[in-house]
Amino acid sequence: MEDEILKEFLAESWENLGRLDSEIVGLEKNPGDKELLASIFRTIHTIKGTCGFIGLTGLGAVAHSAENVLGKMRDGALAASQVTISPVLEAVDEIKFLLHGLEASGKEPARDNSDLIRRLDVIATGIEAALADAPVTAPLATASSVAPPAHSVPATVSVPAAAVAAEPVTAPGPAKSNGPALSANAELTGEHPTADGDGASRSVADLTIRVNVDVVDRLMNMVGELVLTRNQLLQMVRGEDESKYAAPITHLNRVTTDLQEAVMKTRMQPIGNAWSKLPRVVRDLAKTLSKQIDLMMTGAETELDRTVLDAIKDPLTHMVRNSADHGIETPAVRRAAGKPEMGTVRLNAFHEGGHVIICIEDDGAGINVDRVKQKAVQNGLITEADAARMTEKEALSLIFHAGLSTAEQVTSVSGRGVGMDVVRTQIERIGGTVELASRRGSGTTVRIKIPLTLAIVSALVVEGGGLPFAIPQLGIVELVRLGAEDRHRIEKIHDKAVFRLRNRLLPLVGLDDVLGLERKRAETDDVNIVVVQVGDDQFGLIVDEVFDTEEIVVKPVGQLLKSVPLYQGITILGDGRVIMILDVAGVAASFGGIGGQTSERDVAHEGEDDQSGTTSLLLFESQPGTMMAVPLSLVARLEEFPRSAIEQTGDRLVVQYRGNLLPLLPIEGDYRGTEVDPQPVVVFSEGAHSMGLMVSSIQDILEERLVIRMQSRRAGVLGTAIIDARATDLIDTHYYVMQANPEWFTKKPDLKPKRVLVVDDSIFFRQLVTTALENEGYRVRAVDGAKQALRCLDGGDAFDCVVSDIEMPEMSGWEFAKAVRERGWAELPLLALTSLAGANQESKAMRAGFNRFQQKFNVDRFLAAVDDMISESQPGQQEASA
Amino acid sequence: MKTVLLVDDSRAVRLAGKRIFESLGFGTLEAGDGQQALDVVASHPTIDAVLLDWNMPVMNGLDFLKTLRSQAVAQPVVVMCTTENDIAHITEALTAGANEYVMKPFTEDIIREKLQETGVL
Repeated sequence: MEDEILKEFLAESWENLGRLDSEIVGLEKNPGDKELLASIFRTIHTIKGTCGFIGLTGLGAVAHSAENVLGKMRDGALAASQVTISPVLEAVDEIKFLLHGLEASGKEPARDNSDLIRRLDVIATGIEAALADAPVTAPLATASSVAPPAHSVPATVSVPAAAVAAEPVTAPGPAKSNGPALSANAELTGEHPTADGDGASRSVADLTIRVNVDVVDRLMNMVGELVLTRNQLLQMVRGEDESKYAAPITHLNRVTTDLQEAVMKTRMQPIGNAWSKLPRVVRDLAKTLSKQIDLMMTGAETELDRTVLDAIKDPLTHMVRNSADHGIETPAVRRAAGKPEMGTVRLNAFHEGGHVIICIEDDGAGINVDRVKQKAVQNGLITEADAARMTEKEALSLIFHAGLSTAEQVTSVSGRGVGMDVVRTQIERIGGTVELASRRGSGTTVRIKIPLTLAIVSALVVEGGGLPFAIPQLGIVELVRLGAEDRHRIEKIHDKAVFRLRNRLLPLVGLDDVLGLERKRAETDDVNIVVVQVGDDQFGLIVDEVFDTEEIVVKPVGQLLKSVPLYQGITILGDGRVIMILDVAGVAASFGGIGGQTSERDVAHEGEDDQSGTTSLLLFESQPGTMMAVPLSLVARLEEFPRSAIEQTGDRLVVQYRGNLLPLLPIEGDYRGTEVDPQPVVVFSEGAHSMGLMVSSIQDILEERLVIRMQSRRAGVLGTAIIDARATDLIDTHYYVMQANPEWFTKKPDLKPKRVLVVDDSIFFRQLVTTALENEGYRVRAVDGAKQALRCLDGGDAFDCVVSDIEMPEMSGWEFAKAVRERGWAELPLLALTSLAGANQESKAMRAGFNRFQQKFNVDRFLAAVDDMISESQPGQQEASA
Repeated sequence: MKTVLLVDDSRAVRLAGKRIFESLGFGTLEAGDGQQALDVVASHPTIDAVLLDWNMPVMNGLDFLKTLRSQAVAQPVVVMCTTENDIAHITEALTAGANEYVMKPFTEDIIREKLQETGVL
């Protein structure tokens, strides 16, 4: 019998204590708040009162002394200040400790609390006046908007129940219950869902019914099964117009959906439940670190599934802790920076399109990117070279790597090994994403996006390697289908397939390749690309076929597959097939196409290896302080126009230039610069089209080794090059010319589907040449070495023209040309494209067997040469092959 | 069977009280605060006794008692439950119409004694 009373006592104590922390911190801010005081007093009072029934003397003694202090405050005999409240908070902690012990062992832990009790008693009785008169320091941390009372224990949910009168309580459920499931099964009590406060609309109808979470979970499980069965039935009658089951199944369908929503609702809890501890956490932190921090919380009533709520509780606490510890500066530093001494951590939650967005924002110092890099280098996460070539955004994402704490001193509060890596892992595990934005000096914002529920998700069913898979809709951005004739638009950059989707390079990977399945798609098939989002990045998953979307019930993967990161679960389709649910983050990580440090590094290193020469680069500022670069050879001219000469036609800027109108564009994205007069302009030309890029200032021209890293995130940026040991974004001139002349880019119809083989060891030029040729309508095959090119030719691939670099490792262009001619392709037009110059180079090329010799970068001349060569050679080539 | 209404914001205390009253042969009703208790009284006119906690959210024991005594309903015996912190105010409760008072933690013996004194048993 005592067991049950004990269980009930533990359950209600945890409920009340959950609320208590925010209340006490709130009291510190508003020492005069009688309501708060009364509520706090009552919680302690109740605990103490109940202790007597169960014989918990140690706990009772601590609660008693704390109650005495609170009683004095309530009666106005003692001021609530930091001095008087701190011991009460200590007592609350001790009470929690004792309750934990009690819960775990069933016995009250033996503790000597005489010191704490004496200090409480001193405050309550003897020197209270002296203490109360002591200078009251400004409230350290305050909670501006306290979360709604976290009324239920994590293990139970409260459900509003209509008209449940306070009937004689029926015998509670099974007495034996192990674990933390504290409340008895489906017990009815006359408990109000909210604590004190508004006395309005109190009625019996407000009553809630307390249900063990296990029951709700089972309910959810069964609804899941029902959804599956419904899907099966729907599948059966699909296509049968006249089925006699159609009507009842439609009804079943609707009822199932309603039921699913209703059950889902019972699992919903306000996010405030996960927040209730935070004011206390921040308050304690502020005190320890001598900072002043205001924690503002909005959207605490935003509801989400209990399982999701549980999953984000710890990450949230960690991030708020981080903001308070690492983000907010000390009052002195803030004052010096011209900011208010009181720092603010803002927590905001809201619904957005089936997701819950949680923002944690602080107005602190922001993240010192250099220090992040430095730390990452120290910890061996990256090399110095990596650090140098990283963009700010990439460096910021280092925060999410294991073992990186950027506070100069590892404080006792945050430097405890649980890092942002764990935070990210936990959030991604439930299908959420974390984004981080930071501005030096003005603060950091972390934005978390999580699904409302995990139990039933909408998913796209696809086929790869002959097997069906489900991809959660959450991660899917769009579907792209390429007709077989458009296959050539898939380019290869350094052995990685990419696709230029609306001017961004989208890395591609075959689902069958990632999963190691046999490839079932043929080269002639259309290409289905599922564009998925992982964090900031997107990539394309090539699948054999795309089927329907279905509401699927997520079942956990079995033990054997748990360690395979590619799958997030299993489900049963309407037709009864059991299929795997893909984890897109896992897929991205496994093929290393995006984001992943290693892959980027690999590409960079390999790039270094095969890039021997240097390139002239034009360095300019896109905005004061931000350098960008472009290969000089792609630049037609540098001009300066007085601002008065720049005209606006429609939504475009143009300037009179050499008898024509030159369209002007600003640099896109974060780089948009400020207006300067005269306006420096970098003019690019491609074909007959020119455009001017408005920059902030022209800086320099230098010879640098180009190390291009592929990246797909920003439009108009081709990659990153290391210039003066700094990562500098390289402009994609092609993109801007296209932007300025949209009508021009509409691909020329395949009037001349001539095939060109491009041989160049440099990714950058390979891509440049390929793009230029493709825009002219050629079919291009690009390879990174002469040997591979010979293999292509040997393998029977027919080309109308071959364009080759001269300086290549393994086999030079000279050797390559000789080999081509020796193998009998006497008439195959061979064009040497090189950065080498000089008459003797040219004659050497001719002797080796090249037909033409072109300097790199002059796209116009190059294209004209290719065109020339092909038309000259066509009759001859036909004869030769005959 | 006689009926007692247990009014306390602590479920644990209500459960303890319920055990005692059941063992004394009572049927029990419960309420978590004064307002709920008023609702229960309104719908159950045959309550013999109320075990009433003092300090509760929404409506405390004293306010409940005052309201109850001012209503034209069958008046049950009210035993006020207190702790040493409220003992100073006990006369206030008695003036307001409480028939008896007990200190927490109460035992079956004490409850029986109080019920006998007030004539419920």
